[in-house]
Amino acid sequence: MGKNLGWINNVLKRIIPLLLVIFGSTLILSLLLQLLPVGLKDLYIAPGDPASIREQLKSLGLDGNAFTFYFHWLNDFIHGNFGYIIFPGGGREPVSNRLATALPISLRLVVYVQIFSLLISVPLGIYTAYRAGRRSDRVISYSLFAAASVPNFVFGLLLAIFVGVQLGWLPPLGYIDPSENLVGHIKTMILPVLSLSIPTIATYSRLLRSDVIATLREDYVTMAASKGLSNRRILFTHVLRPSSTTLFTSAALNMGALIGGTLVIEQIFSIPGLGTEIGIAIFSRQFFALQSYIAIIAVGYVLFNGIIDVVLGFVDPRTRERRNA
Amino acid sequence: MRKLWSEFNLPTKISVTWVSIILFLVITGSFLPLPNPTEYDPNASGVGLFSPGHILGTDINGYDLLSNVVNGARISILIALISVGVGGLIGSAIGIGSAYIRGKLDITVNLLFNILLSIPNLVLGLALVAILATSADPSTPIDPNRRVFIIIFSLTVVIIPILGRIARGATLSWVNREFIVAARSMGMKDRHIIFKHIVPNVLPAIYAVIFLAIGVVIVAEGALSLLGVGIIDGVSWGAMIGRVAGDFTYAPQSMYVPVVVLALTVIAFNQIGDHLRSQLDSREGKI
Repeated sequence: MGKNLGWINNVLKRIIPLLLVIFGSTLILSLLLQLLPVGLKDLYIAPGDPASIREQLKSLGLDGNAFTFYFHWLNDFIHGNFGYIIFPGGGREPVSNRLATALPISLRLVVYVQIFSLLISVPLGIYTAYRAGRRSDRVISYSLFAAASVPNFVFGLLLAIFVGVQLGWLPPLGYIDPSENLVGHIKTMILPVLSLSIPTIATYSRLLRSDVIATLREDYVTMAASKGLSNRRILFTHVLRPSSTTLFTSAALNMGALIGGTLVIEQIFSIPGLGTEIGIAIFSRQFFALQSYIAIIAVGYVLFNGIIDVVLGFVDPRTRERRNA
Repeated sequence: MRKLWSEFNLPTKISVTWVSIILFLVITGSFLPLPNPTEYDPNASGVGLFSPGHILGTDINGYDLLSNVVNGARISILIALISVGVGGLIGSAIGIGSAYIRGKLDITVNLLFNILLSIPNLVLGLALVAILATSADPSTPIDPNRRVFIIIFSLTVVIIPILGRIARGATLSWVNREFIVAARSMGMKDRHIIFKHIVPNVLPAIYAVIFLAIGVVIVAEGALSLLGVGIIDGVSWGAMIGRVAGDFTYAPQSMYVPVVVLALTVIAFNQIGDHLRSQLDSREGKI
């Protein structure tokens, strides 16, 4: 009985720390708002008679201390209410309206980048590992190292000037929804995806390279080679599979850097995603919106990593030990 | 020193040279015979590279790019060194201490590190700066010096869990070795064990990450400026990029110059960090 429930135990052991981390990070974000040099009440409560002021304070969760404010926000957040953008006159717009259009755009960008990066970095990583130590590997590996260090906004700006403005091949800014015009959508996404992908590809290929080199030293690979299997067969069936779990783990961990990068790239290419909304929220002093946007990023990042962790734990038991270390 | 130099491979040599040049410019920048970075040359707006009097050209307003890059190095490198220095010191102290003491304190510290690391580092820095640098009155922006201080503080908070976790992990791998157990059983004081036996062994791991962390901070400062919440008025590399980000078609070198300098500096710091880490790996391998 106890043995059969082992996997539940395992899953619980992962979920509880995840929930604690989510709780902690959203609490910290909420407490941060208390550090604002201006009071939330001064910013968002429209003047009026005492009854209406009390009503406003209550609906925004500002009628208690910092902790009751957090739990008010948390309760709303769990129920899918992400707070309001409050206009100077006291008018309100739910943040979820903005999220409904902005979040899918940012997610699309991140998904494109991950798919494109994996497609390029797998062959590149295997090739450099296979050629390890030769001149072609050394040249590619050093270029990859440099590319991995260069921040993606550098690629974004350079691509925007070169390809977008000077060559004029692709639109340097703007976003077109795929439902409107698919070709236009692809055209507007190429430069942002490329600028986010170059450092990502470099990171992934370097990881895969060192992993494949380690796997190539294993006895079973020597065995396969001595049986006369072709190099291609060895690389793709016997080496790539055990090496790919590290790749997927790092792809999940890289999500954080990618989300940060997306914020900046969206600004450079004027893409109306979450990053642009965060910028708008900061400049128009909409801190409830800012709190929810950042909480969504943190929760999404933690959950995504948790899921990848559990899935990889089932696929390859060795990673359980490795990631816990 | 010569022995140390001969151990470097070519990319590391180039990186060390580049970082030395940048540090030299940070120290001597204001004494060099360069045009005033805040004075524009009305006869040379937007001139290209290698123009007379302006080696790296000028931007659209006629500001000399070389002197601005040199001037910007001071703030960019200062922010990076202070945040990584202070953040590294605090993070290592917390990490080493909690891993040495262990128990509930260590569990709490580890949870706190995980919480801070669960927010992507640029996003955390952005949230901190955006909130702390809000001015009470929207029509008057906050004092630039105060803004620099807030950015340093925020990036320090970002660095603490990154280095703290490295220090904690490294300490955990040393704290059960025989010589530590022996020292403890001989009645050596905890303070002495930490400073005599643990810190010297944990430091190499921290050194390697410190160089990578400097890269992280330089990039974050640049990104914050691009997002419009960083340093303003073009006095850091990020700010130079941010200032022309909207309009660089007329004088593209005003974008290339700071972007390339920033990228080369980050590559150089990462290369040095990577070199130290590979040395660390071979050292650990021998033990």
